[in-house]
Amino acid sequence: MERQIINKKKRVFSVEPNKIPPSEVFTRKYTSHLVPALKKLNMNKNSSQVNQLTVKHEVDMALALSAQEFAWSRFLLQKLSSSNNPTTATSSSSNGIRIQERSGKEGGGDEDGEIEEKLRELQKLLPGGEEMNVEEMLSEIGTYIKCLELQTIALKSMVQDTT
Amino acid sequence: MDLSVLERVKWLQQQQMVSPEFFEILGSDGREELRRVESYLGNNNDELQSFRHYETIDGCISRTSSFQMEQVKNNEENRVIALQNKRKTEGKTEKRENKKKKIKTEDETESSMKGKSNMSNSETSSEIEKRDYIHVRARRGEATDRHSLAERARREKLSKKMKCLQDIVPGCNKVTGKAGMLDEIINYVQSLQQQVEFLSMKLSVLNPELEFHINELSTKQFQACFTDLPEAVSKQSMMVDASSFPLHQTTSLDYSVKNSNQTISLGSKEQTSWEIHSQCLYNNLRTDSVSNFFSFK
Repeated sequence: MERQIINKKKRVFSVEPNKIPPSEVFTRKYTSHLVPALKKLNMNKNSSQVNQLTVKHEVDMALALSAQEFAWSRFLLQKLSSSNNPTTATSSSSNGIRIQERSGKEGGGDEDGEIEEKLRELQKLLPGGEEMNVEEMLSEIGTYIKCLELQTIALKSMVQDTT
Repeated sequence: MDLSVLERVKWLQQQQMVSPEFFEILGSDGREELRRVESYLGNNNDELQSFRHYETIDGCISRTSSFQMEQVKNNEENRVIALQNKRKTEGKTEKRENKKKKIKTEDETESSMKGKSNMSNSETSSEIEKRDYIHVRARRGEATDRHSLAERARREKLSKKMKCLQDIVPGCNKVTGKAGMLDEIINYVQSLQQQVEFLSMKLSVLNPELEFHINELSTKQFQACFTDLPEAVSKQSMMVDASSFPLHQTTSLDYSVKNSNQTISLGSKEQTSWEIHSQCLYNNLRTDSVSNFFSFK
């Protein structure tokens, strides 16, 4: 039945699933998670009590659920599910930072320290980044950025659709 | 002349074949031994030593199982180049250390092809127990101990990843150096997160009025935003070509249904079927391309 609707819209629907790019897959999954969640929110709280936190929560949840092949989504899910409980154990501890000192490679210790600081900052931005080592973190950051971009596109389109 | 070169090469290779074993047996004395042997060659020292450059000439020699043949070939090719280079004594040890980092099968094929003694065969196989190895190309004049090799391999991996990130993050091309790039990346991630927050805030404001006219996301609608989708498959990062990524433009994805007669709001039934459908797509895709994309190994 879906296919009929789709065909009527003259949409190009790829018959070979292997050719569907992961960005689209992600976006579909994302909206498929987020939209019903928002609807549910809407219906559940009939008043205008839909505050920002819950929407943000749903937004993050949708992001985490649609990108489950990445490590950061796991951490994000953990964080979200733990933030539901009042007793939240902070998962982000800084003992997982394993940036090795590159002894004497760069000119001075300053440059090294700067770079390490920045890497640490980056680790803080990425959910679960502080528990990974630097290599992992760099690869995860790439995919995280991509998913964030797709997420913003999806959100933008949703917002624009309603205005 | 060529013949003698070849002979020397073979002798040299034999030397190298044997050298790891010497190390095991004799320890530091092994190096002395070999140096003594080499000094016997007299004036040929320079040439011989320059032969050993072939392994250390950066970047061009790959340690595959055809290592043997490549050795000979590259040796002859690079002899001229090598002769012009100065050589440090470290170069010698470099190779031996590099050898320790080779794959077990490589060593075995080499040794079998060389027709070495059984003792040396067993030595190589016993000394290398582990299965996975890091292919390291040690360059001339650089330290050759295991730690620095590992360190160098790690650094190369990191810089490779940084390059990939450069492709993803727009505006990273102009900045050079790790610190600047990291700065850019941090700013970008922060701005993305802020955008998400802002949009979700907007959504929360608009939420009560939301009527989800959202139909299934048409591939065309998203392709309006994403360009170069098929080409991006070959890239290591995710699909979207970052430079053409219209994140900061005000492109609007027209979500509204084109055919007004068929306004379909996401009822539970359609939603689940769509979800199932997208799940199928996702599952089909996941096993091959996705895992390839996001493996930065």
